[in-house]
Amino acid sequence: MNYQTPALRRALAADYAIGLMSTAARRRFEQLLLDDAALRAELAQWQDSLASLTAAVPEQAVPERVWHAVTARIEPQVLHVPEKRPWWTWLRLTVAVCSVALLVFIGALYNRDDARYRATLLSADAQPALKVEAHENYLQVEPLTLAAVDPSRSLELWAIAPDGKPISLGVIPAGGKGKVELSAAQKALIGKPIALAVSLEPKGGSPTGQPTGPVLYQGALTAL
Amino acid sequence: MNGTSALAELACEQFEMPPRRPAIAWRFAISIADTDQLRHLLAQCALGDRRAFETLYRSVGPRLHGVALRFMGRADLAEDVLQESFVRIWNNAARYQPQLSAPLTWMINITRNQAIDQLRKQRDRPLSEMEQDALPDAGPSPAEQLSSAREASALRRCLDSLDGMQRQSISVAYFQGLSCAELAEHLAAPLGTVKSWIRRGMERLRRCLEA
Repeated sequence: MNYQTPALRRALAADYAIGLMSTAARRRFEQLLLDDAALRAELAQWQDSLASLTAAVPEQAVPERVWHAVTARIEPQVLHVPEKRPWWTWLRLTVAVCSVALLVFIGALYNRDDARYRATLLSADAQPALKVEAHENYLQVEPLTLAAVDPSRSLELWAIAPDGKPISLGVIPAGGKGKVELSAAQKALIGKPIALAVSLEPKGGSPTGQPTGPVLYQGALTAL
Repeated sequence: MNGTSALAELACEQFEMPPRRPAIAWRFAISIADTDQLRHLLAQCALGDRRAFETLYRSVGPRLHGVALRFMGRADLAEDVLQESFVRIWNNAARYQPQLSAPLTWMINITRNQAIDQLRKQRDRPLSEMEQDALPDAGPSPAEQLSSAREASALRRCLDSLDGMQRQSISVAYFQGLSCAELAEHLAAPLGTVKSWIRRGMERLRRCLEA
């Protein structure tokens, strides 16, 4: 098609202006417009003529919401998006969160307090009488079938090492349930192949540092 | 952006306003007949001047709203078209070419294109029953619109010089955004005939308006 014919250019511009062209024809015409200033001017004249068709359309008051909607759309960065934080804010936040997580983890490790050894002490007739669990700093003692103890007496717990000499671990609380705190020297014994024994002693424990009364219960301490 | 607009305002005060206008005047609408002023406002918008944009909006908003309503026939759709049109006017203000078209024509074209896009989308999908019920009684027909357009005196004389079918086919094509085939169907006339009504009618209209 020869687009240089003035009559054809004029007719095409008119068709385009009023909107009669198919989509494909519109695209072709828009390509022509890009490089053809005279064609753009021709089109503009048609558009001016056509716009005059709206001259008698009455004006309509515009609700204020339209203005708000328009401003919201032309300034989205102010109205909708929170101000961008500098990167070091995120860095600081990340460091803080990591520190807290690390502290909690270390604390959990530090406070781990699982029983590590256990012994079930048996009476002379092989009845389980007392359960002992060794934690890091103390022994947890729990009665199973403990014989009644005269209030003027105490039960004392002993560690018996392979060489046979009993070392006192402390007095078991009245009633048989409770904690027996360990000294550093006592802690060192736990974990060695020792047996535990309980003897009946005067109230407060043996005055001599060695068992003075009968051994009531005994059993080996084994790792869990 | 603020820097640019401040600079633009400064430029206005220094070079373009010997009879100094009070700054507050920018807040109010100006007459849309004032083509120079509209062109100036568009130029300010192109520089990112929000106050100029608001003045432009207050000035041509009611006019474009009327046009949008004529096209869409429904208040909610017309408001959507109006909103989209102003967003485009703001975004494309720098592309407005004053030597090609009057500023109001440019803005009316943006509104018309937007309206026709929406009308085509609507035609492409059937209306639900509820929407059918919600449709207003047929607004002014294109013929009625044109007859009211004829009240505008310059145009009146020119439209009167067209014969009936030329007038009707132009107004239906302009206000409804119909394709050629749709238009032929709408007017119950052969395609070639409709094309020639429009071509001849447009030619006559334009020659008359230019005279």
